[in-house]
Amino acid sequence: MTEQASSMVARVFRFAPETAGMGHFEDFQVESTEPLSVMALLAKVHEIDPTFACRTSTCFKGICGSCLVRVNGKDVFGCMTLVLPGETVVVEPHSKFKRIRDVVVDFSQPLAVLERGGEQ
Amino acid sequence: MKITRQVETDVMVVGGGGAGLRAALAAAEAGSRVLVVNKGPIGKSGITLTAAGGMQAPFHPDDSPDEYFQDIVRCGGGIGDKKLARVLAQDACERVLDAERYGARFIRNPEGGFSLGQFPGQSKPRNLFVKGGGVGLVAALANACRAHPNITLLDDVFVTGLLTSNAGGKPAAAGALGLCLRTGELVQISAKAVVLATGGCQWLWAVTDCPTDATGEGLVYAYRAGAELVDMEMVLFYPSVIVWPPSLKGAFVHYEFLAEDVLDGNVYDCDGRPVLPKPLPVRDEAMLIMARAIQAGKGQAHGGLHWYVGDSPKGQAAVEKKLDIAQYNYIKAHGVNPATDKIEVAPGAHYLMGGIHITEECQSTLAGLFATPECAGNFDGANRLAGNGVTATQVFGARAGAAAHRWAAAQPGHAVDAASLAAQTERVARKVASKQQAAIKLQLLREQLRSAVQAYAGVERDAQGLNRLAQIAAAIEATVNQATVPPVSCYNQQLVDLLQLETMCTAARLIAGSALLRQESRGHHVRRDFPQQDGQWCKHTTVAYAQDGPVFGTRPVE
Ligand SMILES: Cc1cc2nc3c(=O)[nH]c(=O)nc-3n(C[C@H](O)[C@H](O)[C@H](O)COP(=O)(O)OP(=O)(O)OC[C@H]3O[C@@H](n4cnc5c(N)ncnc54)[C@H](O)[C@@H]3O)c2cc1C
Ligand code: FES
Repeated sequence: MTEQASSMVARVFRFAPETAGMGHFEDFQVESTEPLSVMALLAKVHEIDPTFACRTSTCFKGICGSCLVRVNGKDVFGCMTLVLPGETVVVEPHSKFKRIRDVVVDFSQPLAVLERGGEQ
Repeated sequence: MKITRQVETDVMVVGGGGAGLRAALAAAEAGSRVLVVNKGPIGKSGITLTAAGGMQAPFHPDDSPDEYFQDIVRCGGGIGDKKLARVLAQDACERVLDAERYGARFIRNPEGGFSLGQFPGQSKPRNLFVKGGGVGLVAALANACRAHPNITLLDDVFVTGLLTSNAGGKPAAAGALGLCLRTGELVQISAKAVVLATGGCQWLWAVTDCPTDATGEGLVYAYRAGAELVDMEMVLFYPSVIVWPPSLKGAFVHYEFLAEDVLDGNVYDCDGRPVLPKPLPVRDEAMLIMARAIQAGKGQAHGGLHWYVGDSPKGQAAVEKKLDIAQYNYIKAHGVNPATDKIEVAPGAHYLMGGIHITEECQSTLAGLFATPECAGNFDGANRLAGNGVTATQVFGARAGAAAHRWAAAQPGHAVDAASLAAQTERVARKVASKQQAAIKLQLLREQLRSAVQAYAGVERDAQGLNRLAQIAAAIEATVNQATVPPVSCYNQQLVDLLQLETMCTAARLIAGSALLRQESRGHHVRRDFPQQDGQWCKHTTVAYAQDGPVFGTRPVE
C-alpha cells in the first residue's frame, strides 16, 4: 500500500511563547511520492504554513545537529531520519533544549551569556 | 517595530562561520571587545559546515609559499589580485598552526607530520585535512571564542542592515541593526568597526550544494552602505550536486571519484551513455560538458545525469570502502546506496569568487567596514583551487580581525548617524503589519527567482538571458517590496524569509548586471555569445550603489 501513497502526514508540535498554554499538535498533509527526511518534511510544512517555524540550515552530512528534533517520541537527527509516503510522523522539539517556537529550540550557551552582550 | 535594545561593542562580526570566528579571535586577542552575531546557531549553520575539510598550505619540504602563490594566480585566470594571492600563500602555514592551537585537529601521517594530498591544480602535495571537516573546524574555533573573555557569541540574531556614521562628511561603518529571533527585539548594535563574514549567495541558484542561509545579505548590505563589489558574475559550479531524490537535494557526490585512479565511474545521459571522456577532464571542463548534455535534452527525468560508480573496475569492496565517510553515510540514511545506485546530479552553485572588494587588510572601500572570505571578492579571480576556501577563511579572517581592531582602537567613540539608523529601522518596520493585504506567497516568488537565476546565470549565460534575469529579479523585488508579514514576537521566520528574499532579488540583479558587462568567457563565467577569453577583460567588474540603481564598471587587477 505504501508504494502507491503520494503523501505523508506530519503531526507537528505548535508552540508559541506569547500565547498561554502547553502547545498542541497540528496535522499537515505533505504531497510526496518519494521518501523525505524529517528535516525536508518540516521545510515543506513551513512552505504550506509559513507561520510554522523550523530550522532549515543543513550540513548535508548528519554531523552538525542543526536538525535535532524529537520524532515519534525519540530525540533524533532530523536530516538522517526518513519518512515514507503513507506514514504519519509526530514531530516535537528536541527534549534537551529550551523551546523557542514550534519545533525550534535554543542551541546556544546559557542565557546568562546573552546578558553579557553589553546591554545598557 | 521599534528599536527596543541597544548594545555597544568595539568590533562587531557578522557571521559565525570559519572566517567570522577567526576574525573574532584576532580582534579579541589584539584587545578589542568583540560581538559575533549569527542568524542561526553558531556551529549549526553556514557554508563552512558543509566543507569536506580540505585546506591548502605549503608544508611539504619541496613546496614553498611562492609555488603556492603561482598556483593560485594561474588558477585565477588573470583576474585574482596578486597582492591578495601573495598574502594567502604567505600566511597559510601560520594560520593552520593557529587553527591547531585553537583545537582543530588535522590528519597526520605515521611520521607525525601533516598528511598532505595533491589535488588538481596543486603543483605539490599541499592539501591538509581537518578532522570532522568544516564542522570540526567551526566547533574548535567556536570553543576558543567562548573561552575568550573579550568575545560574545550571539546565535539567532539576523542582521537586517548596516549602520553608518558620517563624521565630517566621511561615511564609515558604525554597527548594524539586528533582529533577535529569540525575543523579537530589534537591536541597535553600535560598533567602532564591522567585519562582514556572511558567506556567499549560492542559495540563489535552484541547484546548489550550499545550505539555505547562503543568501548573500552581507554582500547586499555592504553594497547598500556604499562599499564596492567586484566580479559578482564569478560563481564556481561543482559538477555533481544531487537533484534527485528530493530528500537528498543539495548534497553532493564527488566528481573527483570518477577519475580512473579513484573509482573510474562516469555520469550517464538518458540514453545510458557515459558523458565524460577519460582521462577525466578538470572540474570546470566537466561541468561545462555536463551542462551542455543536459541543455541538449540528454538529461534524466529531473534535469540531471546519473552519477554511477556501481560498475567500478576497482570492485564493490573498494567502492564501499572509499564511500564509507560521513557524507556518503548521510546518503545511505536516505535509502540510497551510492556504491550501487544511480544518483541524479547536475552542476550546482558551489562557491562565490566575487564579492566585497578588499585590501590585504580586508578593508572594504567603506571606512570601518572589513570583509572576510566568501563574502569578500578579488582574491580568487575566475576560478579557485580546491582547498583554498577554508585556508582563505583563516588567513583573511585573522587579517580582518586585526585590522578591525586597529581601526576600532583609533576611534574616539560610537557615532551612528541618525539618518542611517532611521532608514534601517524603517526598512524592517514597514515589513510588519497586523493587517495583511492579499497574501503574497513568498515561497513561490523565491522559487521563481531561484529558477530564473539557475536558467539565466547558470553554467552558460548570454545577453538575452541575463537581461531577462535582471527584469525578473526587478519584478519580483517590486512585489516583495510591497509584502508584509504579521508581527510575531519571537522567531518571526516569515520576516526573515521576506528580508532575505528582498536581498536575494538585489543580489540577482547585481549578478546579472556584472555578467552582462563581462563580454567574454573566463574561468567559470561562460558566455555563449562571447565564447573566447578576451585580453581586454583582464580586469575586475565592479558595482557600486547609486540612488537610481547600481552603477557597473571595471577596475584594474592589482
Ligand atoms: C559542499 C561544500 C564543500 C566545500 N568543501 C571545501 C573544502 O573541502 N575545502 C575548501 O577549502 N573549501 C571548501 N568549500 C568552500 C568553503 O567551505 C567556504 O568558502 C567557506 O567555508 C566559507 O566560510 P565563511 O565563514 O566565509 O562563510 P559561512 O561558513 O557561510 O559563514 C557565514 C555565516 O554568516 C551567517 N550569516 C549570513 N547572513 C547573516 C545575517 N544577515 N545575519 C547574521 N548572520 C548571517 C550565516 O548563517 C553563516 O553562519 C566547500 C563549500 C561547499 C558548499
Ligand atoms: S543538518 Fe547537520 S546533522 Fe542534520
